[in-house]
Amino acid sequence: MTGYIIRRILQLLPVLLIASAGIWAMIYAVPGTPIGAIVGENATPEQIQAAIQRVGLDQPVLVQFWAWLKSAVLGDLGRSIHSRDPVLDLIMLRVPATLQLGLSATLVGLILGIPVAVISALYPGSWIDRSLSGWSALALGVPTFWLGILLILLFAVQLRWLPSASTYVSVFDSPLGALRNTFLPALTLGVYVSGIFARFLRASLLSELKADYVRTARSKGLKERDVVGRHVLRNALLPFVTVVGLMMAAFIGGTVVTEAVFTYPGIGRLLIQAINQRDYPLIQGVILFVLVAHVLINLMVDVLYAYIDPRIDYS
Amino acid sequence: MSEPVLSVRGLEVTFIGGGRPVPAVRGVDFDVYPNEVLGIVGESGSGKSVTSLAITGLLPDTARVKGSIRLGDVEMTEADREILRQMRGQDVGMIFQDPATTLNPVFTVGRQVTEGQVAHGQIQALRARERSIELLREVDIPDPDGRVLQYPHQFSGGMRQRAVIAMAMAGRPRLIIADEPTTALDVTVQAQVLSVLAKRQADTGAAVILITHDLGVVAEVAHRVAVMYGGRIVETGPVAEIFKRPRHPYTVGLLQSLPRIDSVDERLVPIPGQPPNPALLPTGCTFHPRCPIGCDRAICRSEEPPLRAVGEVHHSACHYAEEVARLFADAMPSDRIPASVVARAAAAGPPLLAVDGLKVHFPIKAGILRRRVGWVRAVDGVSLTVGPGETVGLVGESGCGKTTTGRAIMGLIKATGGSIRFDGQEVTRLSPGELRKARRHMQYIFQDPYSSLNPIKTVGDIVAEPLHIHGLYEEMGGGARITELFELVGLPRTVLGRYPREFSGGQKQRIGIARALALQPRLLILDEPVAALDVSIQAQIINLLQDLQKELGLAYLFIAHDLSVVRHISDRVAVMYLGRIVEESEKATLYETPVHPYTQSLLSAVPVPDPDARQTRRRIVLEGDIPNPAKPPSGCYFHPRCFRATERCRVEEPAFEPYPGLPTRSACHHAGPLEAVGSRRGASS
Repeated sequence: MTGYIIRRILQLLPVLLIASAGIWAMIYAVPGTPIGAIVGENATPEQIQAAIQRVGLDQPVLVQFWAWLKSAVLGDLGRSIHSRDPVLDLIMLRVPATLQLGLSATLVGLILGIPVAVISALYPGSWIDRSLSGWSALALGVPTFWLGILLILLFAVQLRWLPSASTYVSVFDSPLGALRNTFLPALTLGVYVSGIFARFLRASLLSELKADYVRTARSKGLKERDVVGRHVLRNALLPFVTVVGLMMAAFIGGTVVTEAVFTYPGIGRLLIQAINQRDYPLIQGVILFVLVAHVLINLMVDVLYAYIDPRIDYS
Repeated sequence: MSEPVLSVRGLEVTFIGGGRPVPAVRGVDFDVYPNEVLGIVGESGSGKSVTSLAITGLLPDTARVKGSIRLGDVEMTEADREILRQMRGQDVGMIFQDPATTLNPVFTVGRQVTEGQVAHGQIQALRARERSIELLREVDIPDPDGRVLQYPHQFSGGMRQRAVIAMAMAGRPRLIIADEPTTALDVTVQAQVLSVLAKRQADTGAAVILITHDLGVVAEVAHRVAVMYGGRIVETGPVAEIFKRPRHPYTVGLLQSLPRIDSVDERLVPIPGQPPNPALLPTGCTFHPRCPIGCDRAICRSEEPPLRAVGEVHHSACHYAEEVARLFADAMPSDRIPASVVARAAAAGPPLLAVDGLKVHFPIKAGILRRRVGWVRAVDGVSLTVGPGETVGLVGESGCGKTTTGRAIMGLIKATGGSIRFDGQEVTRLSPGELRKARRHMQYIFQDPYSSLNPIKTVGDIVAEPLHIHGLYEEMGGGARITELFELVGLPRTVLGRYPREFSGGQKQRIGIARALALQPRLLILDEPVAALDVSIQAQIINLLQDLQKELGLAYLFIAHDLSVVRHISDRVAVMYLGRIVEESEKATLYETPVHPYTQSLLSAVPVPDPDARQTRRRIVLEGDIPNPAKPPSGCYFHPRCFRATERCRVEEPAFEPYPGLPTRSACHHAGPLEAVGSRRGASS
């Protein structure tokens, strides 16, 4: 198992190298330079020249890339052009907020999605299946910004139970404060993924319900509750884990729109801010972070499989 | 006789929903008594599995059940769900076909074996493991203490099926329903499983319903037989009566269409046509369109014959049951031709295909750097020849490398060693382009006719495809050639524009054969071409293959696990074990005087459709399973399972050499005919 994890991490290196080159090239392809943002509108050509030299933009592209890569490997993603703070610090400041929102949104999605899937799969084609499928379609179809605004109108404006603008309060510092601030954005995202979860798990359950071992379990005289709850669900959840992992990775990569609606201080808003300010080191840093987070979550999902599926043996 | 355990009367099962109701079972009566094995025989769609599911109340919601099913004092058709659930596992145990899928992959075998007993409160959860170990021991699972915590994928196929038997028997039910319990297993493993099933039945005194399409298995273990066709029982009686004096033309047809291991027929007599689709049953007697005695009589077309007594305990549903005796006598001469007389003269001249020392080794990679840590020796030095117009059978159990051999000869898998000469040309060193040209005269037919035809192409296009690939469509006659090919395999030209899904399994296999013949090959490699087909259809395809061979002078390399089919069709036979050929000879010699202990065990394990043979036959039940080809045993690969193994076999690999006095080559230190070696052993001990 350890060998497998080491091998996977080694396989990660070329992926990161190619991707970071891609990120670098992408920024170069975009018209305009960050110099204007640094020196301001009324700068003299001398000031501009000095800024270019300071930031290193007069060097050949490959040299710039190599310098960036070298320090990135050592954990130095450069400094933000705008705030002059280290990029890594700016990202790390947002990571706990993003993790808290991403995990709670996934949790909400599972709480809403799993029962919907199980009930639909048990009575396929029935009125309850059809109405629940309608619910999933609705959950997927309603834009998150609109649902977010509706929720703010209801809970913050009408009922005045929750704040309309969320800030990050760590669940470890103040569980109640965290709940007040994270609940609405988590619900907004959770409703959306519950649609994906419910659809995927329903299909997975339906195909497992046709499996031979289900007939075997029934032939032993097990209660239907145990046949579905133990035998079928356990197998149907195996492919489902991959989907949950993918969605979680997407949340950690930032949920730009939802964070904007709730003014939630996550990675997504940091990225928007960086793009607006043409803060190139910060853009590169955030994208690199998102990439690494995706790959690591996928690795975690694969490692998890070794524990939940006895057929998988990585050694 | 005592009270029946199960009594079924007037059982009807109809599936509703999705258009017209489909009658799957139409009035079935039977009883099963304690200590008795009732064999239910039938082809696909006969209603045999639906009957078994009806008994246990496991039919889907779309099924409507009429009639009476009494298990002990409970009327199953009226019992509520909870009672039925209580009876499953406690009163009825079930064994299903494919042990690879009947067990839940994510739970340990031990847990699954006793899960039913725990659910019924027969044992406490804390004692379950102990009980599982006991049950696994009873079905001869080696090391039950260790195995109880393993998962199904860590068990071999035979062990899984034994675990399923243990599971079905755990609650000591009065009735066991075994639905095709050995169909998915190899013949030596089938023998093990059947003997475990028989032993456990004797221990518990349960009644057993054995559902199967295999008449050999029925003859081997059943006491009474019910033959089902078109949703009804068409004949029932004691097993000896059914095999010796069948009184229904369908039963006669089944017996005739079966290639047999204990004799040789020049030609099988297939039942014409297809088994009926339950949604579109013929009027009157459902068998009349395929029947050799009743087809032109009005009563057969208008009136469904009732099941009536034709002997003391023998019933038949045929208007002309009395005439069946003559039909059977005509068709089945009591003194069959001995195998040796039929043997054809060996083909003269240079062989069409000569394989020498063929090896296909797959690397096993492991570790952080994915280094090669070993080889799976799938094919490990196979030599064989096929002459023009000759049929060579290649038999062996699953995992022995027979399919890999066929694919390597075809060039679908790269050979890692040895030589393959086709028509004098070495094909292992050809470039891809040259190989494609050479392959034109060598074609492959796949096992599964259901998945080997592209579903989005018309069958005409499928057959024409090889001609287009080789750019020979116009040259070889275009559309006229396609029509000719269809006629060659017995399909009308009107079907050319249809899609594969519109055809039955047998017809699809005909289309596969037509496709293979398109380029006028000289050699066909047939990989289990009839294994997926019903018995009556199997005989049609075998006859077709034999006719084509005569007409077109084809050579066949016939790869199969079914020794009876191979005996019927082959001129010479090679037996494979773990990547190597252990014995090769002319058909008659190999089946009459096998000299390798593996061949001898294999032949003795094949069920013979003759109930009398039960007593007289000597059976060698091999222990254990086929070893992992990545870690083959030392010396002779067969020695851990061999009844003749000595110290020498453990260390020294036997050479593949001619056996004196017979046209046989074998790889065994102690080769020799069974009796001779047996008596020598007897004398020395």
